[in-house]
Amino acid sequence: MATLMEKLIAPVAEEEGKVPNHKITVEAIGQVSMACTISILGKSLTAEFALVDVLEDKLKGEMMDLQHKGLFLQTPKILADKDYSVTANSKIVVVSAGGERHLNLVQRNINVFKLITAQIVKYNPNCIIIAVSNPADILTFVTWKPSGLPNSCHRWILGEHGNSSMAVWSGVNVATVSLQEVNPEMGIDNDSENWKEVHKMVVESAYEVIKLKEYTNWATQLSVADLLESMLKNLSRNHPVSTMVKGMYGIENEVFLSLPCILNKLKDKEVDQLKNSIQKNLKEL
Amino acid sequence: MSSVKEQLIENLIEEDKVSQNKVTIVGTGAVGMACAICILLKDLADELALIDVVADKLKGETMDLQHGSLFFNTPKIISGKDYSVSANSRLVIITAGARQQEGESRLNLVQRNVDIMKSAIPAIVQNSPDCKMLIVSNPVDILTYVVWKLSGLPATRVIGSGCNLDSARFRYLIGQKLGVHPSSCHGWIIGEHGDSSVPLWSGVNVAGVALKSLDPKLGTDSDKDSWKNIHKEVVGSAYEIIKLKGYTSWGIGLSVTDLVKSILKNLRRVHPVSTMVKGSYGIKEEIFLSIPCVLGRNGVSDVVKVNLNSEEEALFKKSASTLWNIQKDLKF
Repeated sequence: MATLMEKLIAPVAEEEGKVPNHKITVEAIGQVSMACTISILGKSLTAEFALVDVLEDKLKGEMMDLQHKGLFLQTPKILADKDYSVTANSKIVVVSAGGERHLNLVQRNINVFKLITAQIVKYNPNCIIIAVSNPADILTFVTWKPSGLPNSCHRWILGEHGNSSMAVWSGVNVATVSLQEVNPEMGIDNDSENWKEVHKMVVESAYEVIKLKEYTNWATQLSVADLLESMLKNLSRNHPVSTMVKGMYGIENEVFLSLPCILNKLKDKEVDQLKNSIQKNLKEL
Repeated sequence: MSSVKEQLIENLIEEDKVSQNKVTIVGTGAVGMACAICILLKDLADELALIDVVADKLKGETMDLQHGSLFFNTPKIISGKDYSVSANSRLVIITAGARQQEGESRLNLVQRNVDIMKSAIPAIVQNSPDCKMLIVSNPVDILTYVVWKLSGLPATRVIGSGCNLDSARFRYLIGQKLGVHPSSCHGWIIGEHGDSSVPLWSGVNVAGVALKSLDPKLGTDSDKDSWKNIHKEVVGSAYEIIKLKGYTSWGIGLSVTDLVKSILKNLRRVHPVSTMVKGSYGIKEEIFLSIPCVLGRNGVSDVVKVNLNSEEEALFKKSASTLWNIQKDLKF
């Protein structure tokens, strides 16, 4: 007796390959990770999406809350598990390790980060890891140093705020008109229009939001989704992200700072180098 | 000495500050913020206003969204405790409301919500007399009635999110069983949102092929394939998600955004949302239940006349009397 399914649908082709195209995994299910998740799903950046975290109940709850809304999304496969095997075959993994903001907690961040990275790389030797943690530039260094990658290959790490970030006033322009040419005092203390205040507000705004709602998530994760889009769609757009700057601007040390970078797909050759250095790194861990 | 702005930009005409597609969300808890982010991601509004009584959280959430402005296309995001920020809204979404205390009766919970909404709803209508209102807070069918009563708006402009999410879940689960995307599986859950919702088994179809024509036992207790469990799963899923993560947010956010899209863009798509059903299916009181409604720029413009079998109609009538039993004792 044929089942309903057999009566309704007749298969005509062999089942297609199961390796996903642009799988994205988000690690952790806090406010930041979930904001990242909804931004990625809302922008339909991928056909397969995975969530991984150790908090089983909350993870299952978040997965159900998203999965059941398949009607409203263009991401047909949404998975979640505490086992990192669920992340296998990811093109990009977004990690929100750490979460501590102060420099004196850097070591703790680094240790957590190392553990998570090892697990991810075990199942995804060719993936790109995006860490949304602080302190941003230090963590970029920590990921890069043992990998032995060339300077041209940078890890994209974001931070929410940098007290010593720099506003490039000479570059501020609207439709090619440079604002600093219009007002040569722009950005310095003498400036009667006090444009410097704009940069000050940028630096302080994260603290302010945290004071009001205890964390920030929407803006930072929208910006992460924006970076992912550049990478997955090979857009070659320019983004200010953390990269190795030794040898530039008279800097002699191996330091990571944000500069305008062109982001696109990681080239194959660089992927192999990454793979080799990570295998080596894993052994050391 | 002219400012940078004056030297850079020549103004030609006065800026028209009146938004054309303003949405206000009342309540910035998990549900309200999920609605906000989903609406922003879908580019549906040109102005978004948030209202809540908890000032700090409201300001923090608003700032966080504003800081992401580069990544979406909604140029104006504002907030405040005062309802004047909602002025000129096309659509006002109500997610705020009292939470059920342990052991509290439904009547008591609803009465508390009436007291909260007594000042809020008239203030909203005063600021946006032409708006549509979309109610999300639970118990949604009763609260849609409450908001309608307090607003003085025609019933076609007061809509409850109702069974839109239940139906989405239903279609997802059917899709899982058949290996087909939910949008290609058609199925409707109507009636009272929650435990007594009504799945319309006769309407479940893929590409016009009614599943019930392939298996007449579909959805009954004697169905070997246990399709009836799908409905059970829909009803239970909200409870399960709340048990696991403490609340639901993304699901309702996405579902509300789907309704907002139909309304703001005048799509005239049909959705199972909570509307006034007095006069249909033998219902004599002013009750709101979900039936398939055509949603457009004026709210509900038409309803689809669904044929209910005797069992389904009995469920409808039962829901109506349960709801009326609570509604009749409310003090406005």
